[in-house]
Amino acid sequence: MKRILSALPFFILLLLLSACSSRQNVIVLLPDSDGTVGAIEFSNEKGTVVVDEEGEAITVGSSKSAPKEAPVMSREEIKQTFREALEVEPLLPKSFLLYFKTGKVILTPESEQLVPEILSEIKKRQSDNISVIGHSDRYGSKTYNFRLSTRRAEKIRDFLVSKGVDAALIDVSSHGEGNPLIPTKDGVREQKNRRVEVVVR
Amino acid sequence: MKNVIHFHEHKERVIMQKILFFLLLILVSVVGPVFAQGNLAGSVKNIKGDVSVKREGSVHPLQKGMKIYTEDLVMTGKTGAVGIILQDNTIFSLGPETQLTIKEFVFIPDQSKFSLLAKMIKGTFVYISGVIGKLAPESIQLETPAGTIAIRGTKFAAKIAGN
Repeated sequence: MKRILSALPFFILLLLLSACSSRQNVIVLLPDSDGTVGAIEFSNEKGTVVVDEEGEAITVGSSKSAPKEAPVMSREEIKQTFREALEVEPLLPKSFLLYFKTGKVILTPESEQLVPEILSEIKKRQSDNISVIGHSDRYGSKTYNFRLSTRRAEKIRDFLVSKGVDAALIDVSSHGEGNPLIPTKDGVREQKNRRVEVVVR
Repeated sequence: MKNVIHFHEHKERVIMQKILFFLLLILVSVVGPVFAQGNLAGSVKNIKGDVSVKREGSVHPLQKGMKIYTEDLVMTGKTGAVGIILQDNTIFSLGPETQLTIKEFVFIPDQSKFSLLAKMIKGTFVYISGVIGKLAPESIQLETPAGTIAIRGTKFAAKIAGN
């Protein structure tokens, strides 16, 4: 009995510790799919912490306590803590870029060869969410560019539908000049930016 | 004299119409938000176990392929997990006993309009940036009960204790 009593403070401490850790918030930085690591910043009224190395973590008790930098979490630890979420993590969407003959709504021969790949990707993923997005460069007026890139995107949508893809799964939009592959000044021709992007999710 | 009476009646009618209009306006602004469905934010890609959504006051089970709207409260149960892709390719993966709401989602690159405001209420999350993270990272705000996460084009995991 005495031995049990002497162990009591230890158990109480253990209980307190586990209670604390369950109230603790943890944010851990992971590498992107291409291996690069960005940065995250956590802030509340008590302070701000930035981490920018793989596995670096931030812990914080509540909005009333200052966030702190925590020891680096190992890959194994990360896998354990976030196992269920990682198991349902969707595949990264796959993008295909299609190019057109200048000023026309006709695909270049190289781009035409990509179409079977797009179709097989849709099948492989059993995709139910496909975006067809028109993009333009910054040569010519914004309105003209928006219209042309929309028309090209619609053409690709119709083409995919003609190949058996359910039209209800495809959403068509245009980013016009707003989402270039290669940023340029206004008025500049840039062949690489005049594209239709098919995103298979 | 007759004309004057007519004039007054007309004036009263106009005032009544104005009052009615304002009453209607107040009614719409009070009741409107309660019934309004949010705009499309993304869809459910992978799902496991018990996952539901609270939308416009009622709870429905979520299934693969279903759309997620702003203001939806996505909830996973003890054995639940769900992977969501937003329209800009942002990915949220949720572990068990997790709650998430996309409060705001604006993705109009053509007009340089971007906004992603998410509330990570509790549970485990894995987040991967999408196109908004690339084009306008400053317009992303991820809120937790303990503070706000800002990101520079990246992936992270978070365990949130909740309130």
